[in-house]
Amino acid sequence: MKKYLLFMLSPFLFLSCDQPGEEKGQIEDSEKVVATHTVDFNKELPDLSVYHLPSTWTTQDNKDIQLEDLRGNVLVMVMIYTSCKAACPRLIADMRNIEKQVPEEYLGKTKFIMVSIDPETDTPQMLNSFAKENLMEDDHWMFLRGTPEDTREFAAVLAVSYKKISPIDFSHSNIISVFNEEGVLVHQQEGLGVDNTETVEAIKAEVSN
Amino acid sequence: MKTIIRLAVCIAIMIQSQAYGQSGSMVKIEGGEFIPLYGTETAVKINDFYMDVYPVTNAEFLEFVKKNPRWKRSEVKRLFADESYLKDWINDEAFPSDRSPNAPVTNVSWYAAKNYCECEGKRLATVDEWEYVGMANEKQPDAREEENYNKYILSWYETPKTYKNEIGSTFRNYWGVYDMHGLVWEWTSDFNSVMIGGESRKDSTGDNNLFCGAAAVGATDLMNYAAFMRYAFRGSMKAKYSSKNLGFRCVEDVEKKAL
Amino acid sequence: MKNFKTSKKRFVYLFFLAALVAGVLTSCEKAVAAKENPELMKVYGESEAEMTAPPMVPRPVGKRAATKLIVNMEVVEKEMEMADGVTYNYWTFDGSVPGSFIRTRVGDEIEFHFKNHPDSKLPHNIDLHAVTGPGGGAESSYVAPGQQATFTFKTMNPGLYVYHCATAPVGMHIANGMYGLILVEPEGGLPPVDREYYVMQGDFYTEGEFGERGLQPFDMNKAVDEDADYVVFNGKVGGLTGENALHAKVGETVRLYVGNGGPNLVSSFHVIGEIFDKVYVEGGSTINENVQTTLIPAGGAAIVEFKVDVPGELVLVDHSIFRAFNKGALGILEVEGAENEKVFGGKISEGVYNPGTSVTGIVEEVEDSAPVAEMSMADKMERGKQVYTQSCLACHQATGAGIPNAFPPLANSDYLNADVHRSIEVVKFGLSGEIEVNGNVYNSAMPPQNISDEDVAAVLTYVYNNWGNNKTEVTQEMVKKVK
Repeated sequence: MKKYLLFMLSPFLFLSCDQPGEEKGQIEDSEKVVATHTVDFNKELPDLSVYHLPSTWTTQDNKDIQLEDLRGNVLVMVMIYTSCKAACPRLIADMRNIEKQVPEEYLGKTKFIMVSIDPETDTPQMLNSFAKENLMEDDHWMFLRGTPEDTREFAAVLAVSYKKISPIDFSHSNIISVFNEEGVLVHQQEGLGVDNTETVEAIKAEVSN
Repeated sequence: MKTIIRLAVCIAIMIQSQAYGQSGSMVKIEGGEFIPLYGTETAVKINDFYMDVYPVTNAEFLEFVKKNPRWKRSEVKRLFADESYLKDWINDEAFPSDRSPNAPVTNVSWYAAKNYCECEGKRLATVDEWEYVGMANEKQPDAREEENYNKYILSWYETPKTYKNEIGSTFRNYWGVYDMHGLVWEWTSDFNSVMIGGESRKDSTGDNNLFCGAAAVGATDLMNYAAFMRYAFRGSMKAKYSSKNLGFRCVEDVEKKAL
Repeated sequence: MKNFKTSKKRFVYLFFLAALVAGVLTSCEKAVAAKENPELMKVYGESEAEMTAPPMVPRPVGKRAATKLIVNMEVVEKEMEMADGVTYNYWTFDGSVPGSFIRTRVGDEIEFHFKNHPDSKLPHNIDLHAVTGPGGGAESSYVAPGQQATFTFKTMNPGLYVYHCATAPVGMHIANGMYGLILVEPEGGLPPVDREYYVMQGDFYTEGEFGERGLQPFDMNKAVDEDADYVVFNGKVGGLTGENALHAKVGETVRLYVGNGGPNLVSSFHVIGEIFDKVYVEGGSTINENVQTTLIPAGGAAIVEFKVDVPGELVLVDHSIFRAFNKGALGILEVEGAENEKVFGGKISEGVYNPGTSVTGIVEEVEDSAPVAEMSMADKMERGKQVYTQSCLACHQATGAGIPNAFPPLANSDYLNADVHRSIEVVKFGLSGEIEVNGNVYNSAMPPQNISDEDVAAVLTYVYNNWGNNKTEVTQEMVKKVK
């Protein structure tokens, strides 16, 4: 019976598999998450847009979103896990430093996103309390978790490597990435506590674009 | 739920998947524990799973491309494959005449390989799973300490153009799987779990600002160059890259197969 | 109070002196900053670097200003000849071992385009010892097969530097040939000379012993034990001999850029028949003069210069001398031109020296009377060629031509054809002292070849039936009789 059901579903889904970029159904439903934007949603996405990834993510407010819902924002993304004691606090600090240098009027069009590499531990509740502890409750802060598979795929797009090295710890690369309004990767900074001038400039340039 | 959707996405193709190639032939790998060369100092547990006996061939991948036009060379999104994707193919639906239909397909990106497996109702093996099967020689499940086993692998690294050979042209290992060594490199689902950057000498100290945690290579095992170079290769790849010496095969979980 | 005046005077004097010194110092510092801090050097224009395979080097930088220099380099994994009948899968920078010579000047801004050929099996990168920065560029240049990376750096220090691949396992990448030289000339360039060449030593580790034929795989165990089968110049036995020999004319000054890729062995670089007028020690700025042998560490280099005064063949060797004659570390620089007896008079007299008593003990040999099976002519020729490759080729060369003034020819050799028993004796027991072959006098030493009678018969048969010799077939019986 289950199989039959899938068979019936398949024509639609097959189409969507074929052209993930064309699907717009979700956008109207999740207007709340999306900031005001100036992007023409009827325009086809650039080839390199991260929004070609057809995956669902859950926010710290326990909302499900598609990546594409973020279209129109400049995204500053980093992959972390909340129980991390080594590099992640420094990465969070780096994110905060970048955020501080972005003019306030730009923040409405910028999202600072922390994607968990440990979705098993980082439940929406965990992410929520992490956001509170770190005073990252403004709208432009966002925490996401997905399936382990989608997380792996997303990391592949960012060229982030990570590996579980013990029941509680991961090793991972420390990369902060900036995406433009169409979801194209425009800048990456690698390492901890590095000079973030270029990253800030990249964000400003994209937002004012 | 997510996996069901993914399965459904490709189900139209699944129906026909038995019609072409050798994709049907899988063997069961009995799980167990082992300590891989890289990434952990404790044993890793591997569950039972099924693995393709052979890597995916040119003919099989051509069928896949025909049914999934978004993976045609001219249509693939640059996010999912760079310019070297299927570079040697004559056009969208023809591989070069000097390649056997039964030779392993190469120059495919990780996304393409992953989606191929998904459309078969399968997935790519994890690095640990691949290494678990890869440590077998003809007779033993773990031949990592055999000199000849390591020499065989090292000599492959120095043998040019093996991607032109047909599948099944290397040895059948303990599990009944062919071509784990000696034909092509293979994509794994979490190839990007390897923290080897370009600076190999720094990596081995574990003191690396680019990475959190210390996934350094255990100095004791540095002699195991044969395996180490597989990790170095993985560490050099990005998901949209493809390479002439890099193909893939799929695996399947036992529960799923039973379904 | 009393001293006030004097101390005041002294104070003024000191002040004056201090001011003077300070003035000199600041102006001096300014000059240094403008002239010598390469970081602040302006670059003018842009050009693509000329890249050359060994033994050639690109044109000198001369008086040109610092510029933006584009360097293109490609990693290629390919099979090439290691010795006669022996091949090896080399990993190379630009298809040669050593890789292309890169020539820059201090203050240049290098934009390095590093490519890994799509057919490559492995990721590679490059660590240039001329780079001031992390890993010498290793991390920035790490590329998977079929990918490329671009990185930039400024040449801060003049000198001759090694570059090499630093991808794990580093030792294996270097052992397979991944090294070369980059020269950073000082402002205004190095003083002009008549000839410049690029020579680089490397050690190789193969599964088969030296000379064993066929495609030889890399042997990791030997490499770890530092037990080299080959120690060679420019990537192979004969890389600098025969048609690959270097050339110069009498009166010219020759400059050799000599590197040592390793991976393991340190080179005692020496040119037989010359004295280095100048050595830029370790490739740096210190110049030593009148040097016989200069040490070149693995991963290091040296610039040597000498004026060639007399014609003849100069022999480049690693003076850890078994490497030269048994493992391949031997090259030739042919010098043409007129004799100069003031510099080298040659031999002017000779005679017998007989102190009267023999110090050599008499060893009684046990007769081996077991009958032996004689090989067929075809087998002898085949076996003979193998023995020749292993034991004779390094000195007498693949064509039997020998090396003038050092090793007599076996091709068309009157000495050889005159007396087969003498030839057997030479192979079995060695030969020292002067002999004349085809009108030339040779005076060197050949050690006894520690090989079986069967092999002596085979190798001599091979030699006699090649290169225009008199086609004698040497049997084991004949060999046995010579004592």
